[in-house]
Amino acid sequence: MHQLTDNALMLKVKSGEVDKLGLLYERHKKRLFGFFYNLGNDPMTSEDLVQNVFIRMLKYKGSYAGDGSFMAWMFRTARNINYDYHKANKNNRNQTDVAAIAYKLEDDTSQFDNMDKEDTIVQLHRAMHSLPMEKREILILSKYKAMKFSEIGAVLGCSEGAAKVKAHRALNDLRNAFEKMQIQ
Amino acid sequence: MENSNFEILAVAYLRGELNEEGIQQLESLLEQHEEYRDTLKALESSWKGMDQFEVPEPSDRMDQQFFELLGREMEKAESPGKLTTSFKALLDWLFRPQLAYAMVFMAIGLGAGYVLTKNVQQQPGISVAAEEVTEVREKLVLTLLDQPSASKRLEGVSEINKITNVDATVITALLKTLNKDTNVNVRLAAIASLTNYVDNPTVRQGLIQSIPNQESPIIQVTLANLMLALEEKKSIAPFKQLLQEKELDTTVKKKIEETIASII
Repeated sequence: MHQLTDNALMLKVKSGEVDKLGLLYERHKKRLFGFFYNLGNDPMTSEDLVQNVFIRMLKYKGSYAGDGSFMAWMFRTARNINYDYHKANKNNRNQTDVAAIAYKLEDDTSQFDNMDKEDTIVQLHRAMHSLPMEKREILILSKYKAMKFSEIGAVLGCSEGAAKVKAHRALNDLRNAFEKMQIQ
Repeated sequence: MENSNFEILAVAYLRGELNEEGIQQLESLLEQHEEYRDTLKALESSWKGMDQFEVPEPSDRMDQQFFELLGREMEKAESPGKLTTSFKALLDWLFRPQLAYAMVFMAIGLGAGYVLTKNVQQQPGISVAAEEVTEVREKLVLTLLDQPSASKRLEGVSEINKITNVDATVITALLKTLNKDTNVNVRLAAIASLTNYVDNPTVRQGLIQSIPNQESPIIQVTLANLMLALEEKKSIAPFKQLLQEKELDTTVKKKIEETIASII
């Protein structure tokens, strides 16, 4: 049984087999959607941004060399798209608050027994969204088991070791922000 | 230096990526620095807490938009205007006045298609990649068949012909197209596509059941030709039902009577 790698598929897209982009979409759509959503975008915007990643892949398919990690290339594209979107929409209301509220509302249906645990998660979520974007990015990427730290480093433009240090510090900041919220 | 070592080891530990040597190094650091132990415990709690963040499922709208985009790009990538040109040719051909010729060609096409398909051996052992391609094509087909534009729906039917093993969802969608599509060309294309799967009892049954629902003469005649090629005795009853229709075209009526006589 043979499964084409992401790299092989993207090279096929580059050579004109555009339908292979559908396979890449199926493989990565949920991960990309989760990336944008956890960065604080609402579900509808996250869906549009996923779409934009694939549009950009098609646009720049000619420059895809296939010698690095496809995942790193994809998330670098996703990261740029998120920056571009927020740059263009900086006057809009901060989506992080909306996402946190929506999250809390969803949780209102939970059992009273789980109230403390749920509150903790909501607070941790809020703490996450109080962090600067680049710290959120590295935390989200660090959570993907499918991504090696060397790939995360490639997304962020740094070495593997530096990416690990950044992840540690972002997690530390998350813990501090969370503790601050618990005191309030 | 020790601190950044700890940072690197702690992250690897949380991701479950530490090897034996790394574990020993981390343990040694934790023994030397009591404060690292507390830090690691607190970090672990936040790290695990992040697993509880819920992410909703993306909606069908996302898939629909993507596959529309992919469909457009595939059309562009294929030889310039290939699909569009062939569909235009099909439309021109169907609307030519020589309906009788058209029907004869259609009958020959369907008959030949049926005979040839019977002789084609299925390739065993489809690779995972091929299965994935099929899955993606099927999604594209379902999206296209749902489009308001008839040319998009025709494109959807044409995409089906590229799928080696279609599943029940696609068959159901094709039969729905055959019975419900408002455009006669799309319905004709659906019949042509369904002839590839006449060995499937659902397809055969679906084709027979659609006979009384068809109002277009060319569809009625095409189905009659197909049933004749298949020598499908079960189609006699629905054809007889169709003959009861007062507004049935006289040429079609004659054709159906001949078909019934031949099948019996």
